[in-house]
Amino acid sequence: MAAAEVVVPQIRDDSMAGVKRDYKGNRKEGNPGLPKDVVRNEYTSMFESFRDSLDEHHDRRQKIGKVSRDVTALSKKIIFSLQRVRKLNEPIPQNISSEIEKRTKEIKELLSTIEDDVAGLRRYQYSMPGIEEFVEAVSFAHYLETQTLITPEQMQAALGDDVKIPITPADYVFGLFDLTGEMMRFATAVTALSGAMPSGFMGEEGDNGRTILEDLQETASMLQIVPPISSKGWKDKKGVMIEQVRKVERVGYGVRVRGNERPKGVGYDFDVGEETAPVMD
Amino acid sequence: MASNSAPAMIDPAIFQFLQSHAEQDIDVNEKLSQITTVLNRQISTAQGYLSRIHSTPTSKIQPLLSQIEKEGIQPAISSIQELGKFASSYPYYKYNHRWSRSIQNLVAVMLVTAWLGGMGNESRPGEQGRLLRIEEVGKILEVPINLTDRDEFHVTIEEYILAMTDLTEELSRLAMNSVTMGDINLTVRISSFIKDLFAGFQLLNLKNDILRRRVDAVKYHVKKVEDVIYDLSLRNLIPEAKEEAS
Repeated sequence: MAAAEVVVPQIRDDSMAGVKRDYKGNRKEGNPGLPKDVVRNEYTSMFESFRDSLDEHHDRRQKIGKVSRDVTALSKKIIFSLQRVRKLNEPIPQNISSEIEKRTKEIKELLSTIEDDVAGLRRYQYSMPGIEEFVEAVSFAHYLETQTLITPEQMQAALGDDVKIPITPADYVFGLFDLTGEMMRFATAVTALSGAMPSGFMGEEGDNGRTILEDLQETASMLQIVPPISSKGWKDKKGVMIEQVRKVERVGYGVRVRGNERPKGVGYDFDVGEETAPVMD
Repeated sequence: MASNSAPAMIDPAIFQFLQSHAEQDIDVNEKLSQITTVLNRQISTAQGYLSRIHSTPTSKIQPLLSQIEKEGIQPAISSIQELGKFASSYPYYKYNHRWSRSIQNLVAVMLVTAWLGGMGNESRPGEQGRLLRIEEVGKILEVPINLTDRDEFHVTIEEYILAMTDLTEELSRLAMNSVTMGDINLTVRISSFIKDLFAGFQLLNLKNDILRRRVDAVKYHVKKVEDVIYDLSLRNLIPEAKEEAS
């Protein structure tokens, strides 16, 4: 009868695989994750304490990585919504701004769950690319509304008092590099639809205020003058940014020279690239 | 820039903020290069002396160990002090990649020296077969270890574990050379120590990183020593009293 008990599958409360059993089939007690036959020596407890520290470190990294990816996805959605805005230096339309508020709230809630995990010296220990993405989203919204570049203080304030995660200078500046990409997309799209380069006082005759092209050029030149704050990826980002400015310059030239020859809403014959569509993850 | 009543695109404070952070980063990196260049030179010297263990019989090892300590390790410790003082003013993990490898190399030299019977002090004389613990490493270097509560310079667990893999590598080489020098007892001792450490390494749950690659290599160190022991036992060259260690 003992043999039959082995072949008939038993339904158990704990159906977890890999349960250690003795020769009678009774479950062995103890931590199933540990080999039972570890012969202890004078170094065993030292390695066990290292194992605990390393496990804690890996768990934390995983947790932060997950939050960071979620923050990235939410930030990209904010950016996607912002690209539907059509006017510069004006409040963001209600439907879009309420959507952004909702997502920003989600981001803050997510970040507050890892506050302790990235506190103190750990802020630089774990990479959190989501913060950079968040800077991109917030700075883009700030630019569209005020036509100014967000300051580091304003950026930190955007995280609110509840989330005590410092935005590092590198997060801030890399977010600005990404902002230039969004400005390019906004500039090309709005120019194509309206037949004019977006500027601060659209619709008025005479003084039309600064155009987005001028803002982009000014931002780019600042980021070219400043020496690298972090060597990681600076050169690539700078190269991409310079290319983006060139594209908008061509758009600006295009509307000035041929702008009135085309009906609004018709695209231009130069390549603004597939990047005109925000990238979704 | 267009001049109108609207605020400027860029607040001059932003420019200043970026400029000052960039300049600080440049200064820090320069100073770190300066310190680590000296430190690495000192560590190379220590490693150079240490390589003589493979041609120095046990009876003459003590003077060599003192030389490694005095001329190799001691000068490096003063550089570590300088590094620690300087680096503690900046975020630890922002810059630790600049010196982590150096720390690991230095700790490895200390571990090998101590295992051979060096690195003794008043309260604890050196003895062969002693593994310097991370706490002792911290005391000798006069820096904290494994800090989690404040952002200062310290020796990490990872650096210490990596140094231990250097220790097993160095001892696996010595296991062979000590046979050549006629000290089979040392080979046997190394064999049992390396197996103990190997058992310890197997307790770690490693992810796919540098630590895993280096710890994976420890089994080859064990194998190298086992091959030597096998050669010896085949020819009945292992002293009786130690036979169970093979």
